[in-house]
Amino acid sequence: MILNAVALISIICGLFFMIVGAIGLLRLPDFYTRAHASGKCDTLGEGLMLLGFILYEGATLVSVKLLVLIIFIFVSSPTAVHALVNEAYARGVRPWQKGEERR
Amino acid sequence: MAFPGFHRSSAVLRMGATFVILLAFWLILSGYLDLFHVCAGIICCAIVAFISSDLLFRPDRPVRASVRSFVRFLIYIPRLMASILVANLDVAYRILHPRMPVDPGIVTFETGFSDGVARTAFANAMTLTPGTITVDVNGNRYVVHALMKEHSERELLVEREMEQAFAGIFREER
Repeated sequence: MILNAVALISIICGLFFMIVGAIGLLRLPDFYTRAHASGKCDTLGEGLMLLGFILYEGATLVSVKLLVLIIFIFVSSPTAVHALVNEAYARGVRPWQKGEERR
Repeated sequence: MAFPGFHRSSAVLRMGATFVILLAFWLILSGYLDLFHVCAGIICCAIVAFISSDLLFRPDRPVRASVRSFVRFLIYIPRLMASILVANLDVAYRILHPRMPVDPGIVTFETGFSDGVARTAFANAMTLTPGTITVDVNGNRYVVHALMKEHSERELLVEREMEQAFAGIFREER
């Protein structure tokens, strides 16, 4: 019962960060800052949601698979964001600075 | 032998360790514990461990040093998670704030890592934690995009807390 409550809280926190990531994607001014929103918030959001699933599921093989999934996301998500940002930087996308109009 | 400190026994040890890790991974993912599936797993893992044992454990470093680095990294994970949480709350605050107080910019700085794994782990952690995204790594020169330029400049150029933590985890030992 308590474990289910903790799982639910974890999933809701994860959802909160996912939604914030989506809002950031719309609100922030340029490509690089949007990468911040999607890279950070999505990673933690997914991690918290999967953690909630693990707590809900209990000590089974599915939980172990979900744990492996969390590790994979924490490695792959920053790598994907880095690949995107690196390519944009190499192509000469200029970072937005304070005071400029948003793009 | 090509590398100093390269011994036949450590090559066998590397293969054995790789085999154990791969087999554990196989058992987790397959979930079937009957004779056929476990035997298939043993055969596959043995072939992969034989061919590519130098991918998990580097041949120019003793297996024990790799394992120690890994254990130190595991111990560091809770602290990393805490700083990821703080960084995320900070980004969430800036996104949801009506005036969006962001002042982004590019920060360039140097680190003292000589090891590729350490550089990668540090770049990865940098993307997740203190309001920065790793844009480019060239040798020891890191180019990062910071959401709050001044704040990150102070953190990366003056305090260097995370760099020291990673240097401690992946310190060179023979």
